[in-house]
Amino acid sequence: MQENTMFRTLSRVMLVALMATGILVTSACVPLEPQREYVQRDDLQVDPEIRQALTVSELLQSRVDLPGGGSLLKIQFSVKGYQNVDMEWKATWFDAEGMVVPGVGEGYNTARVMQNQTRFFTASAPNERAVSFQLHLREDR
Amino acid sequence: MKKTVIAVLCSTLLAACATPTRYVDPAADDGPVTMTMDYRDFERAADAAVQDLLTSGAVDNPSGERYIMVVSRITNDTMQRIDTDQLVKKIRVALLRSGKVITTTAVGLNGAEDAMNEKARELRNSDEFDQSGVQKKGTLKAPDLSLSGKIIQRNHKVEDEQQVEYYFQLSMTDLTSGLAVWENETPIIKRGSNDAVSW
Repeated sequence: MQENTMFRTLSRVMLVALMATGILVTSACVPLEPQREYVQRDDLQVDPEIRQALTVSELLQSRVDLPGGGSLLKIQFSVKGYQNVDMEWKATWFDAEGMVVPGVGEGYNTARVMQNQTRFFTASAPNERAVSFQLHLREDR
Repeated sequence: MKKTVIAVLCSTLLAACATPTRYVDPAADDGPVTMTMDYRDFERAADAAVQDLLTSGAVDNPSGERYIMVVSRITNDTMQRIDTDQLVKKIRVALLRSGKVITTTAVGLNGAEDAMNEKARELRNSDEFDQSGVQKKGTLKAPDLSLSGKIIQRNHKVEDEQQVEYYFQLSMTDLTSGLAVWENETPIIKRGSNDAVSW
């Protein structure tokens, strides 16, 4: 009677150990998503949904001189794809007081970035008043 | 009586199944893409054109004053019945906001865009009107620049899909010299089901 109970307990322990080993082995086979470095910036927002698929490798800004003496803020950014991804992007422009400088529309630009491809994008401010910007990248909806 | 009840029940059920009408926020529109041109296409084409135009310096007057622009012919060479003002108005608004260009409504290929420019001047020498408020001769401003363009559509069959290409072609002519000081083409290409209609 006692032997029988011990045998049952041992069987249960072995079963649990087997299951745990199975889970560990299975999880070891699942490819781990590499963690991409994402640096939080005021002028760049990348939605979490696409952070694993691409990275903004550079974000440059300069002012383009105009014949009349003024200048326009222009940005250039490059995106490197870790996998094929459809994304949307939009630049919002701000004046010295932080107010939005309206452009033509409010829509996003769509773009497809292939795996291992680096694409360059440019945008220019709609008015000379623009002194800063915020670039937003999100998943294509 | 029985028939009426059934009819009322059926219509209630049908109404419940219908998609509700809702507003679309252009900044967060995740609706499906159409094969025809929709507001998003006009917005993209106008945005690309204005960015290119402003950075090119073609509309930046060295004297610091705003250029005066007139809208010439924008040809719709697509299979769709569209009002080209959907594109032109966005460009006009953006250029006005840029502080670089102002559009005249007193000149147009088919007469003044705003006929009131002429009508208001017909009040001259009318005893009914205080002449101090009537527009004097020689006050209208002649345009410096002219905006013209064309929207082209091309359809192709790609295996079991169709490809529709739209080209937004725009030119800015310096009316002093007659030279095109800025030109731009924005292609918008869509691929979708053969069953979708693009006209």
